[in-house]
Amino acid sequence: MTALARAIARPDPVAGFGDRSPLHGLERRRIGIVDLAAQSVAAVAPAAAATTVVLLVAGFAPGATVAAIVAAAILSLGVARTVSQFARRFAATGALYTYTARGLGTRAGLAAGAAILTGYGAVAMFALLGGAYYATYLVAGLWPSIDRALVTALFVVGQGLLVAFVLVRGIRISARAALVVETLSVALIVVLLIALLVRIGPIDLTAVAGIGGADLDPTAFAAAAVIALTAFVGFESAATLSVESVSPLRNVPRAITGAVVLSGLLYVLAAVTQVAGFDALDADLASSASPVNELAEAYGLGGWGVVADLGIAASFLACAIGTTTALVRVLFALSRDGVLPAVVGRTHARFGTPATAVAWALPLITAVPVGVAATGIDTRDAMHVTIGVGAAGYIVAYILVCVAAPVFLRRIGESTVGATIIAGVSALALAAALVSFFVDDLAAGGTVVAVVAALIVVSGAVIVVLRRRHGPGALGAYDEPVAAQVLGGVVSPRHPDDA
Amino acid sequence: MMREQPALAARQPGAVHSALAVLEAVAQLGAGVSAQRLSAELGLPRATTYRLVNLLVEDEYLVRTPDLTGFALGAKVAQLAAVVAPPARLSSAARAVLAEARSALRGGVHVALFVDGRIAVLDADPDFPLSDEARLAREPARYALGRLMLLSQGDAGTPELERARDDLARWGATRQSGELVAASGCLAVPIRDASGLAAGAVAFSGPRHRVDEPGDVLSALRPAADALAPLMV
Repeated sequence: MTALARAIARPDPVAGFGDRSPLHGLERRRIGIVDLAAQSVAAVAPAAAATTVVLLVAGFAPGATVAAIVAAAILSLGVARTVSQFARRFAATGALYTYTARGLGTRAGLAAGAAILTGYGAVAMFALLGGAYYATYLVAGLWPSIDRALVTALFVVGQGLLVAFVLVRGIRISARAALVVETLSVALIVVLLIALLVRIGPIDLTAVAGIGGADLDPTAFAAAAVIALTAFVGFESAATLSVESVSPLRNVPRAITGAVVLSGLLYVLAAVTQVAGFDALDADLASSASPVNELAEAYGLGGWGVVADLGIAASFLACAIGTTTALVRVLFALSRDGVLPAVVGRTHARFGTPATAVAWALPLITAVPVGVAATGIDTRDAMHVTIGVGAAGYIVAYILVCVAAPVFLRRIGESTVGATIIAGVSALALAAALVSFFVDDLAAGGTVVAVVAALIVVSGAVIVVLRRRHGPGALGAYDEPVAAQVLGGVVSPRHPDDA
Repeated sequence: MMREQPALAARQPGAVHSALAVLEAVAQLGAGVSAQRLSAELGLPRATTYRLVNLLVEDEYLVRTPDLTGFALGAKVAQLAAVVAPPARLSSAARAVLAEARSALRGGVHVALFVDGRIAVLDADPDFPLSDEARLAREPARYALGRLMLLSQGDAGTPELERARDDLARWGATRQSGELVAASGCLAVPIRDASGLAAGAVAFSGPRHRVDEPGDVLSALRPAADALAPLMV
């Protein structure tokens, strides 16, 4: 009789497991790989970024637009791979926050939490503003006499209510809403780009790819790659749905990597189309105001501009759903760790969603864009600042998780050379990217840097208070296996406060 | 142990072999063993071992201990035993009883024993096979057979089991009606051992109306269960 057969026939009692997960209350194991990937893709919002970011990248490195996007994609894949080192070992709704806390301890964990909450929150505001901007633009086309500020504010509130509704109503509803809206937006943009490519005709791939450009300035290339990187952030957000996903340890890493690959392909398609299109017209891409619309006009697809606008508006709505979904789950995890009040970690009895966290987060996320509209700040300027602050938050959290990964792997005795190198190189590249990002912003007036500095001061103070309140206990509660999942598992009272 | 094996990669066919060796080693070394220790014990490259244990954790054959550093066997490995256990056979006397019940009822008649919280199907109806035996093992509470087994273990608390308890008190059988396939259902009559506990069951699966109005079916199944009890347990 083998040891395995003996263990199955007469299991030894195994203590140390609880009778329910510390993250109980959420709907468990509900959504499959497609909905999970849609969460990450929605948070990235590639349809909106494909039309706007390519333009910005071209502004920094006109000859190397595609190469800069590919470089950003490779860096994102490195981060995705590092995040997956955690995601394939345990399921945690706190995602980057919990991962960093598990690797680097309380202080770094809370810093990562503040950074990723900034990322999700600011990008959610950006998406609400973007959706309202496009909606107002379309309405103004029909009724030019409307009060734009009022209509923008109304659209923000309307979207906020819609997001709150789907988020509370259940993960299956919100994941499916993000999937449908995001698929629609990506499909519209892809169809438009391919139609354009067909009209443009044969293109010179080496010229488009920027290979062999002798006059390429490395500083400009780095700046362009950093801008391209901001188009990828959000790909990790599927990890916040770990508890709600079927087979999370397998599916979350696939969803994260898939989101990077899909977004990268879309950006390359968009870049090739726009670069080749403007080359063929002998026009300057970087100085174009709305390149896809201009190309559509030039190649006789004028009516399609509306298609692109619809796709972009849909992408913004999906982005608002995706980033808020992730944000409330990080708040939920912070509450279950005892950092935030226990009430924030309450779940809806019937729908199994972090409903209280939704009720806490969405008023703020909606109020800032409404305030922007009310005070007459230009919507595009506010979008520029929110996406900049959000990207900085994401990049800081990515740096922390990349530093945490090798430490965590060594602690559990599963460190490998490959994983350490990928995490280390990614952390260094991200840090360089962040510095370059701030330098560029300072050159352009420094609004983002000012907001980020203010946020650092505020979140630093909040972290000090929360740490004092929380006491010395370790952070990083995750979806631990329960005794029933263990052969011979015996319930042990591991969580005295978990009643 | 596997010290003589050439280097194995987790994606090669040999991975199945290595995976079983990992499970065997966790059983031998006990709960809480680390991946590093497993790698040393099995003579497998570390990266391969890490990948294997993570794959096994994904499928819940292994679970990580709460501090994430060690591994224990998952409850799911008990299913492996059901896969490899030699099929038990009914005695010819028991098969004669079963054949009579099958000829009296149009629909599937199956015999199963409850072993260590699992359902071991001893004789599935060849003319009306079980719809999904793997799912029966995975989600017993969805089937009449599984509900009877769970009740016999003393499980309670879910609405399904409360209904099953009522059914058992009223009809002497647990039921599932139209919950998996709209037009069909199943019911299970306990085969009781000398102490009166349900050691197994005779189950019927067929059209839903015969489960909703079970009088006819039960008049054939109850005598079969009574006759099978001394022949099986």
